Amino acid sequence: MAEDSEWVVESIAGYLGSPEWLIPLTDFMENKCTVFDDEEENKLSYTEIHQQYKQLVEKLLENYMQEVGISEQQFLAACSSPFAKSKSLQALFQPVLATNDFQMFRSLMVQKNVELQLQALRVIKERKGALPDCLTDGTDVMSELEQQEMQILQEVLKRSKEEYEEELARREHLGQKVASTSTTLREEPVRNGSEPQAKAHTHAQPIISPSKKVGETVISERSSASISPKAPDYCSTETKTLPAVRAPVKGPALTLVSREKSANQAAESWLEEARKEAGISEPFQELTIAQQEQLQQRAEYLRQQRDKLQALKKGQKAKSAAAEETQLPPPAPTPPTPEISVEEKKKLQKRKHLAEKLKEEVIKK
Amino acid sequence: MAKFKQIFSYFPSTLSTKKFQGLFSVIEKLKGTTEKELRIVLLGLDNAGKTTLLKQLASEDVNTVTPTQGFNIKSVTCHGMKLNVWDIGGQRKIRSFWKKYLENTDLLIYVIDSADKKRFEETGLELSELIDEENLKGVPVLIFANKQDLTTASPTSEIAEGLNLHTYRDREWQIQACSAISGEGVQGPSSGMIKNSENDRLGNDSEYRAASQIHRTICERV
Repeated sequence: MAEDSEWVVESIAGYLGSPEWLIPLTDFMENKCTVFDDEEENKLSYTEIHQQYKQLVEKLLENYMQEVGISEQQFLAACSSPFAKSKSLQALFQPVLATNDFQMFRSLMVQKNVELQLQALRVIKERKGALPDCLTDGTDVMSELEQQEMQILQEVLKRSKEEYEEELARREHLGQKVASTSTTLREEPVRNGSEPQAKAHTHAQPIISPSKKVGETVISERSSASISPKAPDYCSTETKTLPAVRAPVKGPALTLVSREKSANQAAESWLEEARKEAGISEPFQELTIAQQEQLQQRAEYLRQQRDKLQALKKGQKAKSAAAEETQLPPPAPTPPTPEISVEEKKKLQKRKHLAEKLKEEVIKK
Repeated sequence: MAKFKQIFSYFPSTLSTKKFQGLFSVIEKLKGTTEKELRIVLLGLDNAGKTTLLKQLASEDVNTVTPTQGFNIKSVTCHGMKLNVWDIGGQRKIRSFWKKYLENTDLLIYVIDSADKKRFEETGLELSELIDEENLKGVPVLIFANKQDLTTASPTSEIAEGLNLHTYRDREWQIQACSAISGEGVQGPSSGMIKNSENDRLGNDSEYRAASQIHRTICERV
């Protein structure tokens, strides 16, 4: 009898590991698992799905028992034999036991759902190289509260970046004044005429490009139109001729918008703020093509101003000790990089956190 | 198999009344139910305090309870038995789902807001409908007259009369005054949820211990 039941157990275990059993079961779980989340409260729909699951398992097992010629008694005897209680077989029997244990069924479904989500994330990552912004926030995993926190965090990041860049602009401006006194020697002072020129050129480049960016982002957003009215201000003082340093803010800010697409309100509030920052009184929709052209002109003008400034700087630098000349370039090209890396880091951390959370759930259950 | 027999003898009435469900009776045994498991369903109108009671039974924080849209399940160990308590939302639009959760129930706990006199009739109606359910045939009913901490709460005698409990035939029933929010009448002294001073008082008064009440209700049937 013992041998008999052992044979039955082996046969059952074999069936529970076979595609005839696994495929329909996996199909069912993958199709139905999407509504299962890890909220404490169960949805009424879970019960319906559990019923369907019971029916499926019942049908599959009955077919199997008929096919192999095992009676229910044999099945029971086999399943309660010590051989079937071994750990490796317990795992196989789990989907069967889940028919009568809602909690177990639920955890199986939640686990399946998390697995599918992880899989989807992996596929997206493989295809696109990185996760789209809307996914790095894990909107469907994060609670609203977390989302709000994230928005605040991003807002803070944005603000601090603006401040940092304003500070940078001021420093650059100051740097020109106090250049000769404030800096330490970091490079050999020996320089021929051509070298500084080349250097100045390369360092002018990154500054120009952000100014281009202003033009582009501004036009695409049609939000900073009022820069033009402010134009005279900008050219009168050198510090303010550097509105471009604010431009990089627009880049991340734009992605912010796309990231928060789901939260329409957040995007709107941001636009509103951008509008205020830019000092526009009328809504964007009312910007005319002429105004856009004005913007473009403004961008072009700014670029020219920047070039002039650079030329001026170049001249000053050539005159002043080569030390500051070398000291100055770093702040200019570097600002975007550390800033972006901070943002980038946050994103990475967020992604890691999300992945860990998901993994944890998978392992836990 | 000896263990199964033991369980059968322990709960003859419970198990023998269960319908034979073909394969699933097999699966149930397969689960190796060496533990004594009881299925308890918690029902009642919305805002009666079912989820608060559930959390109190499970010694969890009762301050974060929100209206239940679906259902909650908690497993509580009590007197060596595993109680699987199902709390199903009581809003009118989901009451029709109640009957899907009644199968194989060992005990029905019906929760009443003792201070909501306006809805006594409604709650009585719902209870009498439940009592008529085929799946609850012979299942004992424990009625919790909840919210006794409110001054406007009606006493249990009044509620029992209003619900016509004395007319129930072939049915064990008990009514228990309690306050799910404070834990009075729900928790035994072991819970740690009740202040020590209260513990002493409640500890001597087994009438106020719903856990033992549940236990008694079950054991009396054996």
